[in-house]
Amino acid sequence: MGIDATAGVIRAEVSKTLRIYFAYPVIVVFWALFPMLWVVPFVFQGRALVGSASSAAFEQLTGSGNYLAFVLIGAMVSNFVFSGIWGVGNSLREETYWGTMEYIIVSPTNLLVVLVGKTLAEALVTTGIVVLQAVIISVLPFGISFTVAKVLPVLLLVGLLMVGFYGFTIAFAGFTLLIKEVHGWTHTLEWVFFLFSPIRYPVQVNPVTQLVSRLIPLTWALVAIRGIILLNRNEVSLGRTVLILLAMDAALLVGGWLVFRWLERKTRRDGTVAMH
Amino acid sequence: MADSGAWNQVRHYARAVWAENIKEWKLELTYPADFARSLIDPVVYLLPYLLYGVALVGGRTSANLERLVGTSDIVSFVTLGYVFIGFMNMALWAMGFSLRKEQMYGTLESVFAAPVPRWVFTMGMSMHSILHQFLMIASQIIFITLLFSIRINPLGLLPSLAAVGVMLLSLYGIGMIMASTTLIFKQGWLISEALGSILMVLTPIAYPLAVLPLLMQKAALAVPTTYGILAARHFLLGEAMPFTVGDAFLRLAVLSVVWVVAGLVIFAVIDRWTRRSGTLSHY
Repeated sequence: MGIDATAGVIRAEVSKTLRIYFAYPVIVVFWALFPMLWVVPFVFQGRALVGSASSAAFEQLTGSGNYLAFVLIGAMVSNFVFSGIWGVGNSLREETYWGTMEYIIVSPTNLLVVLVGKTLAEALVTTGIVVLQAVIISVLPFGISFTVAKVLPVLLLVGLLMVGFYGFTIAFAGFTLLIKEVHGWTHTLEWVFFLFSPIRYPVQVNPVTQLVSRLIPLTWALVAIRGIILLNRNEVSLGRTVLILLAMDAALLVGGWLVFRWLERKTRRDGTVAMH
Repeated sequence: MADSGAWNQVRHYARAVWAENIKEWKLELTYPADFARSLIDPVVYLLPYLLYGVALVGGRTSANLERLVGTSDIVSFVTLGYVFIGFMNMALWAMGFSLRKEQMYGTLESVFAAPVPRWVFTMGMSMHSILHQFLMIASQIIFITLLFSIRINPLGLLPSLAAVGVMLLSLYGIGMIMASTTLIFKQGWLISEALGSILMVLTPIAYPLAVLPLLMQKAALAVPTTYGILAARHFLLGEAMPFTVGDAFLRLAVLSVVWVVAGLVIFAVIDRWTRRSGTLSHY
């Protein structure tokens, strides 16, 4: 398939996915608002345990005692991770439910190209949702401000995070071809990310979580993003973080592609690709 | 004669509840890896809340928590809160989606044609869910006790289970409402997720009622999980409650009647409506 035809398929897939997404506007509203609501229990927990909006112990671990800002930034950035798992990782399973998986399989298009389209659509919607959340948060008195000098390096880090992570979700989409009903496993994966990356708490509070978290790109991205937004750190370690994320991206993209190809070939050979 | 007829009816319903419960267990144990995962998940889910608390205070005791509720041990406090809130998730998800699951299996019509009322069927589902939830709680408590050691008053176990038992009645009513909404909306996950998220904020799971804004405190008093969790922690940890134990049980009992009646009525109305409109078997 030529480049033009491939681009046409990606464009069509993006358009189709966005149309389905916006056919249910209430779901878009839900994803824009509820991740912020999930942060609220952490705010009340902080108020109950510390008695104020700032924690000295938290500051020792993270450099900032503002635990509310910590969890809010974690909630915003982790949107990319969770939308990737649900939107891209689960996407082929959804096609099976809709009864359209067989059409995609028999079309003269590589399944990976279709997944690239789904990934781009998911990235567009999530970026829109996160921008909306950032605007709301910066207006409210949470101690978080977004200036151009802060936003540009943050965008770079988010971009690098997304590239690698979507590589991982493509592998996960292959996994759904193999074991079909992955709803429970998706939840497990979600909670594993909550435990082993600093989305809701500083992982360095425990040596095991600290060690495991280093293998997850979200950890590196979140630490750097919080450093830029909360501590006004002038990107002392940004270069190092970018290099680490680039290396992880390369490994995850190549690994994700290889795993997907292997699982797709296996399920096709076994004749189980369109099974429920 | 009338008595024996009523007794036979009860036995007939009890058999149906038991059969539904056994069917769910058979289905669940057909996938052992998934079953094992369902026992590990609650621990993975709970740990970030504990570690967040430890990171906030730099240890496992909080002077501020002691000032608010009379206990300083954040690990026991937060663990018990999240252990018991699991029953709410059970009502919203396991019971709420029981009918949707039957629809996916293609057995909803057969279940609805069976000679037992629908509430008997959902009770069988909830029996399985409650037993499953107890297994999840056991795995959470064993793991957290091994890792952190929880300090509870063993004499408080029975009264706390009594409070949780009354709370379960209310949750059965909420579960009935959720199950009926799936008959209308089919993909009712959004309602469960939204309601669950709101209840998770209102219920004092990892914090006392006193830290909530006044309006939210008032709203929390209409939620059965508030009384269930506060009473259970009161018996097990000595948490000070803003009401007496008698009041907690009384309010829980009233909420149970309200929620169960509301659940049964709403379910009956929606059931009749979906049958009349011919949308019962729609996807």
